[in-house]
Amino acid sequence: MSDHLRAILDCAGNERYVLPSGLTVLVRPMPGYSAAHAIVAARFGSIDLHFRLGEEELTLPAGVAHYLEHKMFEDQEGDAFAKFARTGANANAFTSFDRTCYYFTATNAVEESLDVLLEMVTHPYFTEETVAKEQGIIAQEIKMYQDSPDWRLITELCQCLYHTHPIRSDIAGTCESIAKITPEMLYDCCKAFYAPSNLVLAAAGNITARQVLDACARAGLDKPVTSPAARRLWVEEPMTLVQTWKTLPMAVSKPCFGIGYKEEPLAPGDGRTEMLYELVLCCISGGMSPLYRRLYDEGLVNPGFGGEVLRVDGCCCILFTGESDTPDQVEQLLLDEIERVRAQGVDREVFTLCKNEKYGQLVENLENVEDAASQMADFALMGQTVAQQIEMLAGLTAEDADVALQKILQPGRMARVRILPDGSAAGDSADND
Amino acid sequence: MERKQLAPGVHLSYDPAQKLNRCRISIHFTFPARRETATAHALLPLVMERGYAGCPDMTGLTKKLARLYGADLAVDGRPMGASRNLCVSVTGIKDRFALAGESLSQAYTELVLGVAFHPCMADGAFDAEAVAIEKQMLRQSLEDELNDKRLYCMRQTAREFYGDSPMGIRQEGYLEEVDGLTGQDLAAAYEEMLSTASIELMVLGCTPAETQRVEAAFMEELGKIRRRPVGPMAFLAMPRQIPVHKVETFDMVQAKLCLAFTLGKPMDLAELAAFRLAMALYGGSVTSRLFLNVRERDHLCYYCASSFQSFTGSMVVSSGIEPGDAARAENAILNELADLCTGPITSQELEDCRRGLMDGLAGIEDSLGSIESWYAMEMIRGGAITTPQQARADLAAVTVDQVRSVLRRFSLSVSYLLTTKEGAYV
Repeated sequence: MSDHLRAILDCAGNERYVLPSGLTVLVRPMPGYSAAHAIVAARFGSIDLHFRLGEEELTLPAGVAHYLEHKMFEDQEGDAFAKFARTGANANAFTSFDRTCYYFTATNAVEESLDVLLEMVTHPYFTEETVAKEQGIIAQEIKMYQDSPDWRLITELCQCLYHTHPIRSDIAGTCESIAKITPEMLYDCCKAFYAPSNLVLAAAGNITARQVLDACARAGLDKPVTSPAARRLWVEEPMTLVQTWKTLPMAVSKPCFGIGYKEEPLAPGDGRTEMLYELVLCCISGGMSPLYRRLYDEGLVNPGFGGEVLRVDGCCCILFTGESDTPDQVEQLLLDEIERVRAQGVDREVFTLCKNEKYGQLVENLENVEDAASQMADFALMGQTVAQQIEMLAGLTAEDADVALQKILQPGRMARVRILPDGSAAGDSADND
Repeated sequence: MERKQLAPGVHLSYDPAQKLNRCRISIHFTFPARRETATAHALLPLVMERGYAGCPDMTGLTKKLARLYGADLAVDGRPMGASRNLCVSVTGIKDRFALAGESLSQAYTELVLGVAFHPCMADGAFDAEAVAIEKQMLRQSLEDELNDKRLYCMRQTAREFYGDSPMGIRQEGYLEEVDGLTGQDLAAAYEEMLSTASIELMVLGCTPAETQRVEAAFMEELGKIRRRPVGPMAFLAMPRQIPVHKVETFDMVQAKLCLAFTLGKPMDLAELAAFRLAMALYGGSVTSRLFLNVRERDHLCYYCASSFQSFTGSMVVSSGIEPGDAARAENAILNELADLCTGPITSQELEDCRRGLMDGLAGIEDSLGSIESWYAMEMIRGGAITTPQQARADLAAVTVDQVRSVLRRFSLSVSYLLTTKEGAYV
């Protein structure tokens, strides 16, 4: 084994346990660090709206996973933020399309903070009153995102590309959908998706496996748990598009554009293809590409222009977004460049350099306690390790990228969204001294 | 962190930070802000970041960084009250992770010194093509500021609050001046910065031998500059005033309300710990009154947070609200401040806030970013350097009366509301 590989594997090493309850536990002690970061990740995100729990088939309103995330901080005695305040930990949570994560960072009283974290994700408490009172704050959050042109581009593109897949729905849902959420629905979600076998607990930094396992034992997670089997249900998604073109007005000063491509869904655990697509995008529109240079030098886009892969179960799409005074011209240049690279192959030097950047990113993500724990949880949900990621990256070739490009980014699977200034951006002002 | 003086107004700070996987070399230039050169100094970071004499092509530079495993080169400008800070930095993985055993730290040193001291200039002017392209980018970013309503509201509040004060010189520049900027203007602003700025070289995550090499190369560059350093700018504060209410209306979903407060006179650094605790208690944490009462209990805001700036003796409360709730939200925010000034403060809430701050301070040495942020701010503020450990001790000694005393000194100067036509309440 080479020295550099040994160095990175030394940093990436972790202890892994699967407890009798089914909980996966990953711990990476990091000598010399003062803080510890712990994260519980549930395989439950905004796309999980339709599932079978035991004999029952359940369909939930959009935004339920995010709503649940907010409510998991409450129990009969108050809320977990107050308990974390007693330990001094800095805690928070987030919901994405396919997971919900709860986490804290602490330099003191780590065991007590672990107890609070595990208690909150294993002992839900909801009442009509506590569920209803959250609607105002979540409605505010939804409205905040409605004013974000970047976020609106992503959600509108997904609605153009997908007929039935729940990626169509905003992560937080709508003000109307969250009004339908009941305590019973939240309890059903917990039964289905917060069973220990559906959770990963990852911890890194100034913490030991013994501390984490003892906390799991105190929470009863060292014993077998019987929970009804939950199974996600999907309506088959055709490869056709809902619509290919959409415009909407907003209070923006300059047009925003999005181009989305619907791709074949990737098999669960197929991180290789996702990584390959990301390298292809780096070659087509990344900072080293001739396209980016031309768009930048001619002032056609700002540095926010770029492409990304959005991949969850049953859905894979590639999205390009940016701002431009001349979105038609930018779109045409992008389409021309995709066809040129498809015909000529990716630039070999740029492909290698894109791989270099990804390697550096993997090393960087091992450095601080937050990234280290998050990366362990992410890889565990995908069924991978850092070592496998590095090996996978090393094995990807420019020829693989050329082959992939013959299949993806096809014009027949492309939708476009424009956000146009509604004219209110000039603004009216008044003052009252 | 060790620190030593290299020359008048020039210091080296270094910390081997052995446990970290990356290293970072940065050069901070801190100098007085001037209205005449504000837009040039807004443009300067953009032009410097796209190339230097040793690698003038932007794409070539991006490739060079990719060869260094995605090392991050940044040139950032930021306001520090009536001063400006321009920081050139390179952050990248340590040599031991290099796939071919190459010396990365040597390459980082060449890069950071090249960008800081050898920009693409000829005949007393920055490269005309680079200037023209980056002028477009600066113009676009100024024209687009409305796309981020939260940022726009905060900027408009600051503009109203500071007016013509030196603290109000816009770090982002002035749109109407962008077109007229030339490569010569930029060169003059750059040369002035080199000669007058206080300079802090920070070397983090490098071995003692690597640090010595960085220092030697830096001193060689410094020796070529005719220096006339200007001392640090004093802390300032806006005078108290009758509160001004401003409203702008747009077609938007969530309204933004921003309130600016002044201390009326510059802050005393000896009270910094009390200010930190006061902010955590009022609106700077999830155990604060604004978070617990205005957001969680009254559901008036999705976000509602306060922040304090030592350089300007000012506090800003920023919030996202229902358009129809603006008046109620403003009253609630002001009432929470008044309650802290005159009403009871429980020992539990005070200790929750203190504990959260102490915990955060204990973790500062765990990341390059937080080490640099902490010490750079300490150095730019002037005076003795306080370590995170000392700051914890200072925080432990703050009393509830000191917290109340700090909060009582803030008075509202500006209320700025972005809302829908229906939500305007003036």
